[in-house]
Amino acid sequence: MIETKVKEIIARVLNVDIALITDELSSGEIPQWDSVGNLAIISTIEQELDVEFPLEDLFDLTSVQSIVEEVKSLQS
Amino acid sequence: MINAPHSPLLCDIAGKALDAPDKIALVDGTSRVSYGQLVERVEAAALYLQSLGLKPGDRILLSAQKEAQFAYLYLAAHLLGVVNVVVDSASPRERLDYIISVTNPVVMFGNGLDIQGRHCESLDGVPESAVGILTLPHITSDDVADVMFTTGTTGAPKGVILSHANIYGSACNTNGFIGTCSTDVEALALPLSHSFGLGRLRCVLIAGATLVLVNNFANLKTFFNVIDNEGVTGFGMVPAVWQYIKRLSGKRIARFAGQIRYIEIGSAALPIEDKELLMEMFPTTRLCMHYGLTEASRALFIEFHGNRDNLNAIGRPASRLVEVCVRDENGLPVADGVDGEICVRGNMVTKSYFLPEDNKDAFFGEWFRTGDWGHRDNDGDFYLTGRKKELINIGGEKVSPVTIEEAIKSLGIPDCACTSVPDPNGVLGEVPKAYLVRGNSDLDFDTIKRQLAQLLPPNEIPVVWEWVDIIPRTSSGKIQRLKLNNNICHN
Repeated sequence: MIETKVKEIIARVLNVDIALITDELSSGEIPQWDSVGNLAIISTIEQELDVEFPLEDLFDLTSVQSIVEEVKSLQS
Repeated sequence: MINAPHSPLLCDIAGKALDAPDKIALVDGTSRVSYGQLVERVEAAALYLQSLGLKPGDRILLSAQKEAQFAYLYLAAHLLGVVNVVVDSASPRERLDYIISVTNPVVMFGNGLDIQGRHCESLDGVPESAVGILTLPHITSDDVADVMFTTGTTGAPKGVILSHANIYGSACNTNGFIGTCSTDVEALALPLSHSFGLGRLRCVLIAGATLVLVNNFANLKTFFNVIDNEGVTGFGMVPAVWQYIKRLSGKRIARFAGQIRYIEIGSAALPIEDKELLMEMFPTTRLCMHYGLTEASRALFIEFHGNRDNLNAIGRPASRLVEVCVRDENGLPVADGVDGEICVRGNMVTKSYFLPEDNKDAFFGEWFRTGDWGHRDNDGDFYLTGRKKELINIGGEKVSPVTIEEAIKSLGIPDCACTSVPDPNGVLGEVPKAYLVRGNSDLDFDTIKRQLAQLLPPNEIPVVWEWVDIIPRTSSGKIQRLKLNNNICHN
């Protein structure tokens, strides 16, 4: 459920087909996921999923999978 | 071996290939391309372009993909006298459609690029070796090398014509100031579709240095690994990237301070406290910030350590071949200390826009008018005080408010206007603010934002929103944006 929501947000923010947003996809691997896109993903997930990523964790949130796991851990 | 007297850029690169053929020019993932190989592949790509029937003066549309093949094609076009129209394939469809309709390229190159239903050649399909005879053009260094599109104040992009001499002049000025040399290894994470990123590619190659292609700055772990593994000694960044690096990685990047010889910064303003922080974190690195536009690339430079008491200046002319002056509205020079429009002439300054009508009010004689306001002090340092053009500088990306306004109005909002405001998150420098007249529309801001996501790139969607009674206009119908920010928009 969280996984689907996170992928939907990433696809919507980057304005790309959700099929592109695989678990393994990392930031920077598609042109739309640049630094501005990454910040937009972080802030949209924080707003829509009501979480706050600790600053010290942001550096390690470099893939779809790592973001999903972080959201799960913050919501648990 | 390349013989292209019209392209000093290619002559320099060919010279490096003769002097040090095995020196690595480009690193693209696991692929390492030496200067000798680079020249061979440029020639092969030129034969390929020639086989497609391209002639001097023809235009090709080139998607700025961060791949070695981009460099082969880009330089091959120069060799043949074919003109590059470099675009970002992720640009809004409207922008790409406009650029294509204006420039009418003979062939388009881009992986997965599907524009106006027209066929695009894949960059991966460009052969890396070929046998044949190149027919080299009878052209000069003043002929057109590239057309780069920049944001126009009316919303339509403006094509900037850059000659072979212009792009080489800018690279020489820049290397002369920064000091990039053949022992340097540069990580290029800036987009190649912008003057800044493409300029870095040229600077590195004419210096005989090594360029490591990195997709972008989004994944800082990857960027730091590249710095570490490739022994990177320099890179370029825009101020928004610096804010991003600070926010996501704190001071981790400082551990590379001992190996980073230079950082070039540009495209937007950088707060003084960030300049001071960079100086603290990189005490021996040349921290070089340029002021310039696509039309007049890298006109001024300032190095932070050498100007620690004067960090609010935007610098001095990049070389003795660049002249910068301040002029009044009639085009007459003003005295030092007096504000006026910053104007530039020199070896890198465009002579014309692609469409002649865009040249209106663009020059005072041979001086290019930047549209920026500022002054020079008695010591010869320049300062910015304002902007005449109404573009919004979103993290170094200049966006016309008209583009955003038209998108909003297409949703059924009867009238609106956009201005720039400081980014509340302190990252992008400026962000758009939208002032909307509600009329009979029942849309709320969240709905408008969601619908705009289908029409505009994420960074162009306004961050700050306000309903207003009227959009103030002049008698000729021009939006008075200053009045909006001064809150003169309610009955």
